[in-house]
Amino acid sequence: MEFLHPAALFGLLALPLLLLPYLIRRKPRRLVFSSLLLFMDAGEQASRRPWGRIQVPWIFFLQLLLLTLLILALSEPVFSVRPTHIAIVLDNSASMQALEGGKTRFALAKEKANGLIGAVGVAGKVDLYVTTPRLEKVRAKSLTPAEANGAIASTEPFDLADPPADYDNLLNLLAREHKYERVYLITDHPARGQTAAIRVVQVGQAQANFAITQFDIQRSSLSNARSEAVIEVTSFSERDEKIKVRLKSGTNELASRDLVVSAGKSASVNIGGFADQPFYEAEIDIRDGLPLDNRRYAIAPASRSLRVLAISPRPRELESLKAIAGIQIEIVSPNDYEKSPRTDFGLEIFHFAAPAGLPQNSALFILPPESSSLVDLGAPFNDVNITNWRDPHTLTRYVNFNLFRPSYARPLKPQSVGEIVVESSKGPLAFSVERQGLRYLTLGFDPFPYLGRDNLPMSIFTLNLLDWFFESQGEKGRATGTPIPLGKAREGDRIVTPADKNIAAAPGANYFGGAFYQGIYQLRRNGEIERFARNLQDSNESDLRAPAPIELRSGAATSSETSVLFSFWPYLLIASLLLLMLEWFLNPRLASLKFWRLAKPVPQRP
Amino acid sequence: MLPEPFTPKFLTQLETLRLRTRKEFLGSHPGSYSSPRRGTSLEFADYRRYAPGDDLRYLDWGIYARSDRLYVKIFREEVDLFAYVFIDASASMAFPSREQKFLPATHVALALSYVILANHDHVKLHLLREQGSASPFYRGRRRMADCVDFATGANADGALDLAATLSGHLQRLRRPGKAILISDFLMPAAAYQQGLNLLRAFNLDIAAIQVLTRQEVDPDFPAGSLALIDSESQKEIRYQWNSNARRDYQARLAHHNLELKSFCHQSGIHYSLYVNDRDLSDFIFATLPAIGLFK
Repeated sequence: MEFLHPAALFGLLALPLLLLPYLIRRKPRRLVFSSLLLFMDAGEQASRRPWGRIQVPWIFFLQLLLLTLLILALSEPVFSVRPTHIAIVLDNSASMQALEGGKTRFALAKEKANGLIGAVGVAGKVDLYVTTPRLEKVRAKSLTPAEANGAIASTEPFDLADPPADYDNLLNLLAREHKYERVYLITDHPARGQTAAIRVVQVGQAQANFAITQFDIQRSSLSNARSEAVIEVTSFSERDEKIKVRLKSGTNELASRDLVVSAGKSASVNIGGFADQPFYEAEIDIRDGLPLDNRRYAIAPASRSLRVLAISPRPRELESLKAIAGIQIEIVSPNDYEKSPRTDFGLEIFHFAAPAGLPQNSALFILPPESSSLVDLGAPFNDVNITNWRDPHTLTRYVNFNLFRPSYARPLKPQSVGEIVVESSKGPLAFSVERQGLRYLTLGFDPFPYLGRDNLPMSIFTLNLLDWFFESQGEKGRATGTPIPLGKAREGDRIVTPADKNIAAAPGANYFGGAFYQGIYQLRRNGEIERFARNLQDSNESDLRAPAPIELRSGAATSSETSVLFSFWPYLLIASLLLLMLEWFLNPRLASLKFWRLAKPVPQRP
Repeated sequence: MLPEPFTPKFLTQLETLRLRTRKEFLGSHPGSYSSPRRGTSLEFADYRRYAPGDDLRYLDWGIYARSDRLYVKIFREEVDLFAYVFIDASASMAFPSREQKFLPATHVALALSYVILANHDHVKLHLLREQGSASPFYRGRRRMADCVDFATGANADGALDLAATLSGHLQRLRRPGKAILISDFLMPAAAYQQGLNLLRAFNLDIAAIQVLTRQEVDPDFPAGSLALIDSESQKEIRYQWNSNARRDYQARLAHHNLELKSFCHQSGIHYSLYVNDRDLSDFIFATLPAIGLFK
């Protein structure tokens, strides 16, 4: 027998409260009697006991039974029979690599899964699913228990965060569509509630953990040649800790610092003065719950120059950008855009122009024409008054928006999800979008020409936006699962994974989507190596103290439930109602008697 | 004015009764009760050899003819009876009210008194309480009114130490006779045994009539926690009243009454129980004759 809502059984603990009304001694009625001779022994006994003699009438046991049945009915008890067709969903997210007494949670999950498979008959069928990168079947066909055990043994967790998913709906849908008699989700998340077909098996305990939550190697600006490492360590623990932070490149340790991280807080350290390396690794020296997030990877910042392809019907205004150090600009007319090669540019500036679709490089759109589908523009206006801006943001730093007054502007009406960076009284004037590692910025005003000191606020804004694009040019560390841009892969291009797995890139492919493990990925093309860092970047995975619970609501019963489960709570409910009626039938006499006695108290004898 | 049960019919019926004694007492006047003395009643007692001066009317001529010896017949002396009616007038006799317990007890006492008075015997009423009182001896039916005034004018209150109170009354008692003790006997066995033994010691022929009310026999307390107060000692005890407790109480009462009855039986005391809701005439004319209180 199982209980679909076992939490309701805690109500049984409250049953003794039913005794309270019987235990509480009301003020006794004072009655005079001729002689207490015959009461003396029993009376004295009763008065010695602090609570008096517990006198529970038989109706108490009826009430006790009634409440017990109601609580049992609320906990929805079911008799289950051995299922023959089940699905096992293994949580293979990064947090499943957390260690529990020498074993990973995933190893424990495998053991649980094997146990569940063992409970299925030899003729039973098992479908195996994993949750990351998305809920999907491990093998296309249903497996025999022996095959399922083999499949489970070969499954490994990814360094990925849990996808945002409503497991209640997903698993119920899974059960309904595939007619699973039961779906087991084995995860390190606790479950709230239980449904007839869905069972959540939790592995792992709450534990302390420390994680590197940020690791960047950056140059402060286009013109700055010095690299600097910023390492942020977050404590998911209840204690303060002094942690050694190491900056490495391969096996070479470049620098190390001691960092004190307060309980539940973050602390960061900046490390500078190290030699340029092709890639970097940050590591904290601590034994904690999840070793995976004790290291992070980053690659060297991009080169010191930014190659810009400008598409403008007014090239003279863009020529002014050549005055900025580190900017290499090539200007083409809108008509020539499609014909010109665009592969080696870090930024495309569409000045009063727009491409047919989103370009493969980061792009700046300045007042795109009306025909563009990228963004809608509002009515033009002068006397632009900036009312709001995003702060902190690379685009807005050091800009005095009181003095920032473009002579002409049109408010933007964004068509996609992004971030409004600068806003005027008439509407947004700067709108940014980051997609697939590329940055897109749309401006509702024209920042060009670059006038240097003659228009300081606008010049600072221009330099900021160039820095912003420059930042994006180098491939910064991104979250695991983020595709690696290949820029139309060619024959012979190869991807080398952190586990030194050499994978041939599919010719023509724009992305490599298998970056599920943390580390440095290499794109080898024509003898050159381009590196990409992928890191676990989800503090929810690192926080092993209180993982978010999986909410399971009692969904509609699947057609197969009835074959596995026999719910008898309705019968308990009926029995409770019958008892209630019985009590109603019996109690009115008692109630009326009590009422009569209350209405006419026994007169005290003189 | 006579109380309600004493209707002319009831009184007429009472006049047909006569108390029976199991002992012989020395009376003061001729009466209908045997005396240990030889006298002039019609009841033959013995023979004695004739002595000069004997009344020749009592010579048994039949014996003289057969034996040629003179014998005279001796007869018993019959004297009047002195009866003492002790009525318990402690506070317990006023439970649940004076009218429900004490007055029924006095009615029993008055009925017995009337039986005695109707036979031209002497009756004296004693009220047993802390400051006890006693009536003078009454004789003759016309003194019934005095008996009624004495008995019904009394109140039941205070505590009662049966032996001590009886002792006070008995110290002033000069003539043996019939003692009738009317009480609820709701006291420890030792207490009533001491009291009854005291009566026995004074060579009284004793009858004990226990008077209880229906509330005492079958209490109708509300179920639940009670603070019961003793009517005499004002002592209070907590008691959880329910059907089990009620059964328990009734068993204790039955045991108490049985113990009293058994003691009376062993001590040659007439014993009877009168519950207040019972018809008085039924009790007087059916129960009391059955225990041998009346001839």
